[in-house]
Amino acid sequence: MSVSYKAVQWNRQKLVYDAVLLAALGTYLVGFHQLAPRLDPNVEPMNLRMRAFGSAAFLLLHVVLSIGPLCRIDRRFLPLLYNRRHMGVVLCGLALYHADLALTWYHAYGNLEPVVSLFVSNPAVGSVARFPFEWLGAGALAILVLMAATSHDFWLANLTAPTWKALHMGVYAAYALLVGHVALGALQTNTHPGLTAGVVLGALWILGVHLVAAHRERAADTPATAGADGWVEVCAVGEIPEDRARVVFAGGERIAVFRYDGRLSALSAVCQHQNGPLGEGRIVDGLVTCPWHGFQYRPDCGAAPEPFTEKLPTFDLALRQGRVWVNPRPHPPGTPVEPLPVPGAPGGEAA
Amino acid sequence: MSAEPEEFYVGYEPRMPAATRRFVGRVVLGLLAAAAVLAWAVPALHRPYALARSDFRDVREFEGVLVAEPVPHLVVARPGETGARAFSRYVLVGRGKSGPKLDLEALAGKPVRLKGSLIYRDGQTLLAVKGAEPMEQPIDAAALAGGESLGRFTLRGEIVDSKCFLGTMRPGHSKVHRGCAVRCIAGGVPPALLVRDVEGRDLVLLLVAPDGSAVNERVLDYVADPVEIEGEVVRLDDLLVLKADPAALRRI
Ligand code: HEM
Ligand code: FES
Repeated sequence: MSVSYKAVQWNRQKLVYDAVLLAALGTYLVGFHQLAPRLDPNVEPMNLRMRAFGSAAFLLLHVVLSIGPLCRIDRRFLPLLYNRRHMGVVLCGLALYHADLALTWYHAYGNLEPVVSLFVSNPAVGSVARFPFEWLGAGALAILVLMAATSHDFWLANLTAPTWKALHMGVYAAYALLVGHVALGALQTNTHPGLTAGVVLGALWILGVHLVAAHRERAADTPATAGADGWVEVCAVGEIPEDRARVVFAGGERIAVFRYDGRLSALSAVCQHQNGPLGEGRIVDGLVTCPWHGFQYRPDCGAAPEPFTEKLPTFDLALRQGRVWVNPRPHPPGTPVEPLPVPGAPGGEAA
Repeated sequence: MSAEPEEFYVGYEPRMPAATRRFVGRVVLGLLAAAAVLAWAVPALHRPYALARSDFRDVREFEGVLVAEPVPHLVVARPGETGARAFSRYVLVGRGKSGPKLDLEALAGKPVRLKGSLIYRDGQTLLAVKGAEPMEQPIDAAALAGGESLGRFTLRGEIVDSKCFLGTMRPGHSKVHRGCAVRCIAGGVPPALLVRDVEGRDLVLLLVAPDGSAVNERVLDYVADPVEIEGEVVRLDDLLVLKADPAALRRI
């Protein structure tokens, strides 16, 4: 959990992660370069490389976009999410190389600067069939570069989380632009239906996992009915396992009620790092721990332990006839709230 | 739900719990397998590359008569051949995306020794010129003959740049290549109409105005689109030329 401006922190898990990423990419790129000349002895090496790197970047983008929703659907995908940032940076590198090859191959050695040529040789924006598909690629590339350049937590802290998150939602715009780039470019020259089917299936997959993940979240987000005083019933005390939380959706917010050491505390269930699902986290070493990247918060005040500065809104709890109730009106982030003792629990009596 | 023995693992912890490790291992294997299958499938589904070549590193000398019209080309006598096969005509282009850098005024109609490299596809040949110098040699007057009209036709095809299509680029035509073809034609490479004949073979007709002048700037907007155009087809030994007014170009 780094919000300070440390350089990239390495650990064994990140090295394994990157090794797997490079192995998969190597399999694709080396395989592509080895197999294509066997399938077609007339291959043009430069063009082949352009296609290999462009398609590698596009395919990797499908993986990047799938991980978030897959993690929401099945938590066991989480180790893939942990270091997703490196995937984005590698993707950006592949895309830059592809664009550089395309620019050199198709636009250099002429009577204009290649970049100028890229934007003036085909201005047929009014036509679908003739559309300058390269512009869509260039737009996507600009987004990918911006995202890769700001992917470090340094920027997350400095741009503030909401700006950073909005910026990184740009990946969906990049994906849409790239579907256009491929559909109006490569697919118009390479008319094999299998290629078109591949692009369509890819888009349906991305849409599908997002819809399934969103559906599950919405199902979990059915607003709890409030009592006359505005408080909301969460569950029976016994339903919250030790060191874990129950989540209610109330007042337009997800609230996580954690049980630990015979006590209960309520916090916003949205991690300050990247909106991770804190309600699926655990108490580790006495701290609420986010399942995504492991940011931690004190359960009784919502503040991250020193030297970290993230703070979550906290909520008041009450016990009414053995059931837990929460007041959905948040306290300002970081406000200490006296934990609610669980009757009969050892720590509860002590508190 | 309290009995659920679910593992809790955050990425930075050095040891992954066993069930998570098994699951992630399967996902990784799946991804590697997908990478291998796609490395085969993606190139397999692309349109085959043309059998065409550019030997741009292999610069040689050629001797012949330099003719400026309808496009700059070199007329080379074929030893031992007469009549329709007496000459080969090599269209001249420059290095890069340009027309030939030659002093045409000084050299046109003269015998020259020319340095360049070959670009060829389906028996049609282009020369990418590095330089040329005049030679002292008698000229066969037939080399300068104007060609034979084959009549007027309405043709459907695609405007390509002759240099890329005949071998410099593969693919050297269609949508992905459009930007390049525009750059080449704007740079002085002769445009050509690529048509498919009744037997499905590619025919390449050099495209010029009815008076034989260049139309490069006037066809740029039509490059790589399916078009139809009417004009006179002229055979110049092994070259086909389409003399047509670009104003008659129609997208189909
Ligand atoms: C300035 C930016 C870009 C330019 C000028 C550009 C140019 C091109 C060109 C000319 C082609 C056709 C290549 C051919 O088949 O001959 C192409 C194909 C492609 N590009 Fe780009 N591109 C750019 C950015 C991107 C980016 C950012 C991505 C993905 C992250 C991308 C992915 C692809 C893919 C997947 C193909 C199809 C490859 C295939 O046929 O297998 N491009 N691009
Ligand atoms: S730690 Fe990254 S989202 Fe919570």
